[in-house]
Amino acid sequence: MKISICSKKEGLDSLVDERFGRTENFTIIDLDTMAIKTIKNNAKDQVSGAGGEAVKLLSKHSVDIAIVPHLGPKAETAMEAFEIKTFSQEDYKSVGEVLKAYQAGKLKEITKKKGLTRV
Amino acid sequence: MKIAILSGKGGTGKTTVTSNFAINIKNSISLDSDVEEPNLHIFMDMKNSTSEPVYTYFPSIDKKLCTLCGKCGDFCNYSAIIPAKNKVIVFKESCHDCGGCKLVCPNGAISYDKREVGKIFKGKTKYNTDLSYGALNIGEMSGVKIINQLKRSFNSDERTTFIDSPPGTSCATVEAVEGVDYAIIVSEPTPFGVSDMKMVVEMLREMRIPFGLIINKAGLGDDEIYNYSKIEKIEVLGEIPFDKKIAELYANGENFSESIPEYQNFFKNIYKNIIEGRGSL
Repeated sequence: MKISICSKKEGLDSLVDERFGRTENFTIIDLDTMAIKTIKNNAKDQVSGAGGEAVKLLSKHSVDIAIVPHLGPKAETAMEAFEIKTFSQEDYKSVGEVLKAYQAGKLKEITKKKGLTRV
Repeated sequence: MKIAILSGKGGTGKTTVTSNFAINIKNSISLDSDVEEPNLHIFMDMKNSTSEPVYTYFPSIDKKLCTLCGKCGDFCNYSAIIPAKNKVIVFKESCHDCGGCKLVCPNGAISYDKREVGKIFKGKTKYNTDLSYGALNIGEMSGVKIINQLKRSFNSDERTTFIDSPPGTSCATVEAVEGVDYAIIVSEPTPFGVSDMKMVVEMLREMRIPFGLIINKAGLGDDEIYNYSKIEKIEVLGEIPFDKKIAELYANGENFSESIPEYQNFFKNIYKNIIEGRGSL
């Protein structure tokens, strides 16, 4: 089971990013082995549609659960299509704090709102 | 002959200049390509207009043929099409209708559906001239398609067409001035007016469109516009003063050259100079 956290820098001490599609990095934690890696968010500088691209990137890295700040409607739709569950990062400041809160079951799952129209 | 009127900064007088040209140049056509907020038809008092829809196309996927290979998603610059786990998601608002996803699909799974992005209105003005304007539907992001279709609304090779362009130098403005014979920049002598005008100058030079400048609200601001035009060798076609009378007429929805007749020759002469300066046109 892999989870991703939007992070400004690398590692557990890094601050979390307040944006999903245009976050600097994703810190990906394998909950089974506790292996941690940080990947650059290539979607960050897209003119538009960064959210969808970022979800694609997470899927490539086999992420099952994404912990996110606010999610845009396109990113939300893409998360659903890639079957990635999303949880809100709340007001926790660092990647480590978010991880702990998730493990303690303190984070809420984001349920699908009505997004943009799609085909 | 097609003449685009543009400015860079909004509110410098594009529409005012366009309408005053249109009513003083016989048999001319005027087009309002500022589809996000068209208003030329108000000043020209267009009656009994007819409308036609403008469509754009977006991909539709045949699930039986799609293998989720991902090529369409890798191709799309706008992430409008994203192959996911068991389906392909399409954000039709993000699609620029380039046709690329269909070309790269190895399985022929992509076809296109259409949707309306806006309308084109066409009619006669109270000056008995032809006018057409585009209007973008609420929530739509790009008026480029509408402007493209708008420019083909009259068979106008023989007549002079004035194109009131959108402000800025975005895709919509590029579309509005694409293929015109001449461009008139309407700017004002304020720092914002000059700064935005510089971007327009750069754009027109890049597109190799000849242009001249009308300074509106002359007397306001400072001298930068004059210095800049001199250094850049930009021809100043004329100046319209910062005048309370003109502002009042504008506020009443009137075209000021009607009430202040000396401006009729002002516009006619500028037009004549453009035509003569362009020789073959």
